[in-house]
This record gives sequence, C-alpha cells and structure tokens, in this order.
Amino acid sequence: MTTLPDLPASGAKAGAAVAVPAASDARQAWRRLRGRRSAVVAAGVLGLLVVLALAAPLLAAVEGQDANTYHDALVDSARGGVPIGSFGGVSGDHWLGVEPGTGRDLFVRLLYGARVSLLVAAGATVVQVLIGVAVGLASGLGNRLLDAVLSRFTDVMIALPMLVLAIALTAVVPNDFPRPLLLILVIGLLDWGGTSRIVRAQTLTLKQLDFVAAARLAGSGRWRVARRELLPSLAAPVITYAAILLPMNMVLEASLSFLGVGVKPPTPSWGQMLSSAQTWFRADPMYVLLPAGLLFVTVLAFTVLGDAVRAALDPREAGRLRVGRRRTSRTPAAADPSKDISS
Amino acid sequence: MRQPSVHSRRLAAAAVSLVLAAGAAACSGPQDNDAKASATDKGKPQKGGKLTVLNSEPQTDFDPARLYTSGGGNVPSLVFRTLTTRNRANGAAGTKVVPDLATDTGRPNADATEWTYTLKEGLEYEDGTPITSADIKYGVERSFAAELSGGAPYLRDWLVGGADYQGPYKDPKGLASIETPDDRTIVFKLRKPEGDFPFLATATQFAPVPKAKDDGAKYEEHPVSSGPYKVVKNEDDGRHLLLERNPNWSEKTDDQRHAYPDTIEVQSGLDSAVINQRLSTSSGPDAAAVTTDTNLGPAELAQIGSDKALAARVGTGHFGYTNYLAFNPKVKPFDDPKVRQAISYAINRTSVINAAGGSALAEPATTFLPDQKAFGYTPYDHFPAGPTGDPAKAKELLKEAGHADGLTISLTHSTAQNRETSPEVATAVQESLKQAGITVKLVGLEPNAFNEARWSATKSPGFYLSRWGADWPSGGPFLAPIFDGRQIVKDGSNFNHALFDDPAVNKEIDEINKLTDLAAAAERWGALDKKIGEQALDVPLFHPVYKRLYGKDVKNVVISDWTGVLDVSQVAVK
Repeated sequence: MTTLPDLPASGAKAGAAVAVPAASDARQAWRRLRGRRSAVVAAGVLGLLVVLALAAPLLAAVEGQDANTYHDALVDSARGGVPIGSFGGVSGDHWLGVEPGTGRDLFVRLLYGARVSLLVAAGATVVQVLIGVAVGLASGLGNRLLDAVLSRFTDVMIALPMLVLAIALTAVVPNDFPRPLLLILVIGLLDWGGTSRIVRAQTLTLKQLDFVAAARLAGSGRWRVARRELLPSLAAPVITYAAILLPMNMVLEASLSFLGVGVKPPTPSWGQMLSSAQTWFRADPMYVLLPAGLLFVTVLAFTVLGDAVRAALDPREAGRLRVGRRRTSRTPAAADPSKDISS
Repeated sequence: MRQPSVHSRRLAAAAVSLVLAAGAAACSGPQDNDAKASATDKGKPQKGGKLTVLNSEPQTDFDPARLYTSGGGNVPSLVFRTLTTRNRANGAAGTKVVPDLATDTGRPNADATEWTYTLKEGLEYEDGTPITSADIKYGVERSFAAELSGGAPYLRDWLVGGADYQGPYKDPKGLASIETPDDRTIVFKLRKPEGDFPFLATATQFAPVPKAKDDGAKYEEHPVSSGPYKVVKNEDDGRHLLLERNPNWSEKTDDQRHAYPDTIEVQSGLDSAVINQRLSTSSGPDAAAVTTDTNLGPAELAQIGSDKALAARVGTGHFGYTNYLAFNPKVKPFDDPKVRQAISYAINRTSVINAAGGSALAEPATTFLPDQKAFGYTPYDHFPAGPTGDPAKAKELLKEAGHADGLTISLTHSTAQNRETSPEVATAVQESLKQAGITVKLVGLEPNAFNEARWSATKSPGFYLSRWGADWPSGGPFLAPIFDGRQIVKDGSNFNHALFDDPAVNKEIDEINKLTDLAAAAERWGALDKKIGEQALDVPLFHPVYKRLYGKDVKNVVISDWTGVLDVSQVAVK
C-alpha cells in the first residue's frame, strides 16, 4: 500500500555496508517507480481506499447511517425484497442504495467491508512473507538434510488443496475466535510455499556470490550473513512477490466468504457481499456491481503497483533506461533469477 | 513458481465466470413475448406429448419401500398406486384423503386399532397380472427389511409386532398383524388407536409389490408399475428417469390421475438457477417442462414482477410448514418463561420475512400449526409483537426477569443458503432483538453439524432456528413429534426441542388419535396447539410459500395444499 515504496529504501540502509552500491540502486528504483504514471495512479487509488476504510465511522456519520440497521420500508417485500427506487434505492439518505431483503445501507457496508478485505489481505501477506522468508532462508543456508526436509515440506504445502483445507479449518475453530484474524492465519499459514521457494532459490544463488564469500571469510556467522548480506538482497524479489500475493489474498478472502466460511454476519466484507449478491445480477445490478467493481479496482491497482515495483527493482529495467533495447535483448533471460517473479 | 500460476488461474477462472454470468444476463432476459402462450393455455387439456420435469433433487432409491414421501410423492405417484391417495384438487380440497387402489379410505373398528380395505376390481400391473391384497401386504413387509430402509417410521411404530419385524427376506412368515382373508381384502391391526391411518395409507409403502418380481435392493431399477406410467429408463440412481404409458393402467379404476402426456422425462441434479432460467426461457422441450422441487428465489421473483407474461406462469402453493425459533428450556436463561416471552414480543416478523425472501415467499406465523384448516388451525397470538415487534414490552418483561441491563444470548443457525435456517434469517432475528436490548451472538454451523446439534436431546443449543413440516395434512404428525413427552429420543433424532413432557398434553394426544372423524380431530389439534403456545416454548416465525415457474405449454396446473406444488399427474402439454 502507501508504505510499499518506502521498503526498498529501508532495505538499502542495511545493504549499504556491502560492496554492492545498494543505496543508489534503491534510490534509482524509487525514482523509476515514481516516474511510472500507472504506479503513481495505482498507489493513489490504494491510498484513497485505505483512507476511506479507516474513515468508515466518520463517513457513516456524515451520511447518517450505520452498517447493520434494517430499513424494511425501503424494500419491496412482495417482490422478493428488491430495493424500492432506481439504481438499487439510491437516495439522499442512502448514497449507494440499500441491500435487497434488509434495506441496510450499502455505502456504509462497502466502507466497513473494505476494512475487512484490506486487513485480511494485508495481514495474510505479512504472515506469508514472514514464514516464507524464514523457511526459504533456513532451507537455503542449512545442511542438506534440513534443506531436503524443508523443501519437501514446502512441496506438500503447495500441493495441498488450499481452499478445502481452509474450509475445514474455519469449521473446527471455536465460534468466539475473531474471524478476520482467523482468515489471516488460515491464508497466511497455508499459503506461504511460493515465497519460500523464491527465497530458497535466491539464497542458493546469492550464497555463491563474492560479497557473501567475503563476509564469511571475514568471520561472519551464518546468522550474521543471513541478516547483513542476504536479507537486503532478498528484499527486491520478496517485495515484488508480496505485491502479487496481496490481491490474490483479497480474492481468496472473497472466495472463502463466498463459500460461507469468511467473516461472520452481520460483519460486511466485499467477498460476503458478492456472495449474497450473486443471484441479484439481473433484478438489482447495483448490488452486484458495487462490491465487484471495488474488488476489481483494488486487485487491479495492487497488480499494477506490484508490476511497477518489480520493474523498478529489476536491474535489466535500469539497463533498458540507460542504453535502450538492444542491450536487454542480448541478456539471457533464463540466467536472471528475478525473471521468475514476472511469470 | 507454481503457486502464483495456480492463483492466477483461480483469478482467471473467477474473471471468466463473471464474464459468463454477464453474458448469460445479457442473452437471457425475459423473452417470453409470445402472445400465443397464454392463448393456448385456455385450451382443453389433451392427451399426448412429452412432459419434462426439471428437478434439483434426484429420485434416488426409486423403490416403494424406500421412498419417504408425503401423500405418495409427486413423481413416484405416477408409477406406484397406493391404498389411498391425496385428493388431486386445488387448495384446501387437496388436503383430503381419497381412495386409490381401495374402494374407500378404510373402515376402522370401534377404537381405530383395526383398519380394513377392499381393493377395486380389475386392477393390473404393467405386465397384465392382477394386483392382489397379498401384494400390498408384501409391499408393506418389505419396508421393514434393513436393506430397504428410508421410509417413514410410522409403520414400525403402529403395527402390532412391527417393532421387532425384520422384513420378508429374514422372516418369510410375514407380519401377523396384516391379514389378507381373500385376494381383495386386507386388514391392518395396530397396537394403538390411529385415526390418521388413511393418511398413512397414501405412502408408497402401501403400493403393491409382486413377490415373484422382487429382487431386494435391485428392485428400484425396474419397479413393477401399478400406476399410469412405467419406468423405461433409470440412470444414475434416479438422476434421469424416463416414464412411458403403462398400457394396463385403466382410467376406470383411477379417478385421481389424468396421465395426459405420453412420456414423462425427469432430469434432476440441476442447479436451481438453471432450472428457473430454463423454465423462464421456455424454449424447445423446456416449454413443456415443470419443476416439482425448485422454488423461485427472491431475486428471480423481483425480476418476474415486472413481466406479466412470466408472472402468469408462476404457480403458488402452500405446504403445511412452520419455521420457528426453538428454545431449549434446560439451558439458561431460556428456563425463564419471561425471557422466552420477551423474545416472542421482540421479534420483527417483517424483517424476518424479508430475509426469507419477502412476503411472496413467506407468511407471518404466530401459531405453531400451519394456517390451514386440515391441520386444525386455530388463530392465536399470545405474545402480540405486531408486524415489526414490540421492544418496549420485551424490555419490560426482561426487567421483571432481572435482566434490566440487557441480555446476551447465542442463536445457533445453519450456514446452508436455504433462507430458512440460514444466516440471513438469523441476522434479521439478531437485529430485531437488538431493539429490545438483547445482544445475540450468532453461532453458524455447517448443515450436518447443525442438524446433529438441534436434533440432540442432550446437547441441543438453548436457542436456534428450526423448521417442521408434516408428513400429511393433520395436526398429529405436526404436534406429536414436537410436544409428546414420550417421543423424546435420548440417543437419536429428537424433535421435541423443549424436552416438553406434560402428562395432560400426552393424554390429549392419545385421545385425539382415537378419533376417526378427521374434522373433529383437527379442531382438537388446534385447541391443543393454542394451549401449548401459552408456554412460549418456541417463537413461530413464518410459513413458507412455494412459487413455482412452469413452461409456457403447460396446462391444467393443479396445486393442492397437501403438497404445495404442481401435481405432475394432472399436467397436460397439448
């Protein structure tokens, strides 16, 4: 989100100690990112969404509505509870109309829904990255046995049918457990295999490089090497991958809510709203288009931003800027580990 | 990089399905501008043609011993004739029980423990062999076999010796309590008075089964027909059924079934949205199609509301059914009648009905019995909440009960999307109780876990959404399983949610069961319901209404209050 562009800079501080001029790299990457109009727009959209989500109670007060109050008079009970009035019951009191069947205010529900959707997506991504980096690093730096065990474990985690397991898990957890936290944990704990693989591959490559060898010769232990030499260099691929994971987690939250194992009613989330809206696409298109549109815009913004971050951190992009296309075409693509990320 | 690609595929799949949905929306609007459709509707029904039944639930285990039906079922009743059957008429007249294979609805002895039936003359199976009373006896006996389980539990409970009988395969001597003095007479001996026996005799277990053709569990693949149609094809265990005319069925012995179409094809396992879409488009063979198990959803009703041609093709039916909030008074604070009454007062039935799909799909309920005369409906509203609830009165009662600062309770519901025990209804209850200062925590359980919890005598939650439908239109099967203290099942499915055991009520149930005058019995059931209602052991919420779409070539639509759905034996397509 808005803090994303800062991350490479903080990574660069640690990286400044090594021979690679990381600081200037990071500064260049930051400049390249700012130079991309799509990235700036995407970041702006996401920033706006976060602000709207945070200001949900305030905006609800401005509109004079809340998320859970029923307005039975605003729906036509004889016609299946379709909102009375055009565009799903849009009015001065209900800016984006009301929900069919209940008459709950859609504007406020969308705002509060954004909180759940963004929180779950961001939280799950953090958990995924933490576990993925830890397992990947341990696997890349450990002995052959540890590597084998962790790699097979990662394979198993990737092969697991994620959605089925998530449904099973959410079904057995006690009723009082806060659902957004549960969703974060379920998605985060089950879906870190991709991050771990990238980190392991990257670690294996970096381990062979001179600056790491130099650090080890200078007497640094494994932990110190990992912390001071490897982590800064891992920042780029991990951040890029996280930017791809975020929208996926948002869609995953939507699918889980869609299957009835997401947040508990009456808490709104975009996924839950989409789920109850699915049959209404003809009778009340607004009800479907609002959460679907917001989800679409958010996922698109994350994807565009993620792509921009990847490009900005990609050394080949730097080369492209400096000397044009001919040189990049000669670079063997397969040799570059960061190529993986774009696939 | 396997993970992201899996993800992106998932993402892509979601996008594709969205596009498809949008495409479907674009090309599938109500296009029934065909003026001819309503014109032909007026014509007299003719024989011939092919009727298609589009259903979501397959006709699994299509064996008369294994089917659990109300009044002999809809599709099963085309193949299996029974001693008695439901009157094929619109509305309340359709709740009557009428003779089918028998000449009357049964002749009881003085205390209704013995029922005698005489078969009509000239009854034949599809292969031309005569139907005898021994075949009916054998059909009933088969349903006791463990390998043919699935039917209603009444026979085992009612017949003398029924509790220990193992079925004709293990015990070829048969049940001594069913006597067949001659080929046309059959006598049932019951261990207690049952004035409702003629209703039970509509069940498919009372269909004749020729012993020579019985091959146990395999019989369902080619059951021998006694009705107007025979099974020509049964694929995928009832998912696809093809029925053709039975040449040996005669209209002369059957004044209930019309059998207009030449063939009837049942396609099931379909998604409800697909069924309603196909019926609404009504193109090709779907013009002569009906559904017997799929309701229109609220969104579909909203769509139809603006289309007169389509609205004319919607059949409305009432099936004896009640959705209610159940209390388990063994769980605090529901042991306190004041708390239960407060909740009864606080309920906003308008919100609840909207959650159930609106006033077209649900009618407010204040009585436990369905609002039909056959059940003995006696209006009462002991804790009048009005259409939107009376939170002030509820607060007053809570204060008297010592909960002046409000109350926090849990409401158990299922996560199934059925608009009956589902999250929408639970949320509407939660919201209306909030007005009375009651905080409701929702406990959503997966459907199987939910049923296990609510039908458990020992572990059932204190407050949950529940529903009850009758096996036949009478107060007995509605009230007895819920309020008869002797029907509390300790280890198994217990429907007596309040664990209610009142000797006076139990005695009255026994007394009413002795009545063979069904109208007199109905009146007493109604009075009993009203009396039990005073205890606020439940909060009746609504009676669902069935809205069923049918194809534009479909004629002679008959919807009885017994089943609430269009009767396939009456439908004509020409």
